[in-house]
Amino acid sequence: MNEYVQKIEDLAKEMGEVRIMEVCGGHTNTIMRYGIREVLPSNIKLISGPGCPVCVTSQYDIDCMIELALSGVKVATYGDMINVPGTKMSLKDAQAQGADVKMIYSADQIIDEKDRVFFAVGFETTTPMTARLLQQGITVFCAHKLIPPAMRVLVQEMKIDGFIDPGHVSTIIGEDIWSELDIPAPQVISGFKPEQLIKATYVLLDLIKNKEKEVVNEYPEVVFSKGNPIATKIIEETMKVVDSEWRGMGTIPQSSLAPKDPKLDARIVYKDILKNVVSQENKECRCGEIVRGMIEPRDCKLFGQGCTPENPQGACMVSESEGACAIAFKYGKSLSE
Amino acid sequence: MDMSESMASEKKCLTGQCPPLQKEDEQVVKLSEGSGGKEMHRLIAEATSHFSSGDWKHTDEDSSLLAVNQNNVLFTTDSYVVTPLFFPGGDIGKLAFCGTVNDLSVMGAKPLGISLGLIIEEGFSKSDLFAILKTIGELSKQAGIPIATGDTKVMERGSVDKLIINTSGIGVAQNVLDEQIEPGDKIIVSGGIGEHGTALLAKRFELESSVKTDSKPLWEEINSVVHLVKQAKDITRGGLASVLNEIAQKEKKQLTIIEESIPLLGEVRALTEILGIDAYSLACEGRFVCICSAKHADAAVEKLRVFNTMACVVGEVQDGSDVIVQTRFGKKILSMPSGNIVPRIC
Repeated sequence: MNEYVQKIEDLAKEMGEVRIMEVCGGHTNTIMRYGIREVLPSNIKLISGPGCPVCVTSQYDIDCMIELALSGVKVATYGDMINVPGTKMSLKDAQAQGADVKMIYSADQIIDEKDRVFFAVGFETTTPMTARLLQQGITVFCAHKLIPPAMRVLVQEMKIDGFIDPGHVSTIIGEDIWSELDIPAPQVISGFKPEQLIKATYVLLDLIKNKEKEVVNEYPEVVFSKGNPIATKIIEETMKVVDSEWRGMGTIPQSSLAPKDPKLDARIVYKDILKNVVSQENKECRCGEIVRGMIEPRDCKLFGQGCTPENPQGACMVSESEGACAIAFKYGKSLSE
Repeated sequence: MDMSESMASEKKCLTGQCPPLQKEDEQVVKLSEGSGGKEMHRLIAEATSHFSSGDWKHTDEDSSLLAVNQNNVLFTTDSYVVTPLFFPGGDIGKLAFCGTVNDLSVMGAKPLGISLGLIIEEGFSKSDLFAILKTIGELSKQAGIPIATGDTKVMERGSVDKLIINTSGIGVAQNVLDEQIEPGDKIIVSGGIGEHGTALLAKRFELESSVKTDSKPLWEEINSVVHLVKQAKDITRGGLASVLNEIAQKEKKQLTIIEESIPLLGEVRALTEILGIDAYSLACEGRFVCICSAKHADAAVEKLRVFNTMACVVGEVQDGSDVIVQTRFGKKILSMPSGNIVPRIC
């Protein structure tokens, strides 16, 4: 047995119910894929957080991109985003109807395509690449989200005892930002291997038990105190912090980015096309509660019943890498079923 | 971008090249219905419901079987499209030749000949075309499997994407590999998985990598173990996850594999971790899974290691259902991959 599993068991005996949120969808993936929840004592709850880019993107933003694509504007976005259902269809459906939708892995792939609008999603990890596109004069529909403002909301609303902070986001923004956040719960920055997550859980439990609020960096090989200064500099040069609507969490002040140059901001450039976009979320879909960690994917009555990775009804069922429902669907089926 | 707002606001194609848009409620074929996952299996089931297959057997397998004068004749066909056409270690021609040869081989059939159908887009480079045909010619010579017949069509520019190849193949088998599998049988993988998929993804996403496609004709390898194994299946789109699930469903057995034993090049592991992609779902073009009784497992692995030193036993057949992966921490179900393989965002 992993030595930290044993240490967690010993610590847990002296504690009541502990609620730990893994903020990042990549962490959720590792936890589910390796069955880490099953090896933890029953009073240690790992709760999946909002760290799935396509899950927290608002329905309105998705509908705007579909409207642009169907209007003949060439668009590009990252992988899973094209599968997220909008009010009437997904970008994939728009593509099947003839719209020019390019799926990319890196923003560099469209750096020479000045007639293409980039639908920029993701957290701090992907914002430097968007900043680079803005430097090159590419028009951007910006739906980037910032993690720290969301955590401030979650720690109060969800009674989280401690956070496992996202590893990739931290490589960009650095370790210090988490301390400056000043939330009443300890945090541990973790890598993505199962052993790293188990150790991070142990370190976090130890902090919670001792009522310490500090931030511990358990991913020091790539996360530095000030992050990546080149990345943060180009973000500051090209983008400004704005309020933003999150799926399930409403409008969070100062939680998103927008291009500083209005001529490169697709929300402004294409305002005439976008003015008629009306969005409506599927009322039965409970993605909003899932990204807040209020319910488990299986608590949603659509889960596996009409909502599956091949035919997702909600955003959380799309990404097998980061979406809580898709991950639960892929790895969560219990062996006795 | 200096496009004026008034121009952008008109709801029509800006480039003049977009195909007409369908009505919203019309059912259309989606890209993910061709990705080797659940959606594709459903589309194929619906498509084949329109046909009768006469006396042919195993029509849902890699090749179909017909008894002709006490000979086991096997027949298969496949069409090939790939982006990019040339990739590290191969090209579309290699896929088209090997794919059909391998579909015959995994049924235990020695391939006798291959047909070659080309659908070419007007304007396609002749040097590329002949480079691809040269690949096919060389493979055919090396493997001793002739190109028996062919067809060429040239289509108007824009109506196909560069080049589509169809190959069909015919072969005969002394022993058709269709024996029933039983609990306790061993599951063998013939080499490192996901190398073809990784090579393509690295090229497509412009990532530095030395991983090459694993594409190759498998007859020689399979022929070396044909007397030892009960069944074989080449790993293609949908990867190991898809092949194992197909076997588990068809045979109504549980297949349990040990994660640590799955052969995987270090670089494939690293690239799949970077991209957030599951190596189990990545395509191969020159690897196969075979199942044999426990007593023959060592002998089969020894034979296969002559061709690839990573060949090994990865698990075993048990009573039950589903494909189970034993990870370092616990058991998880390995489900049939669904949808397109897309890299993670953050």
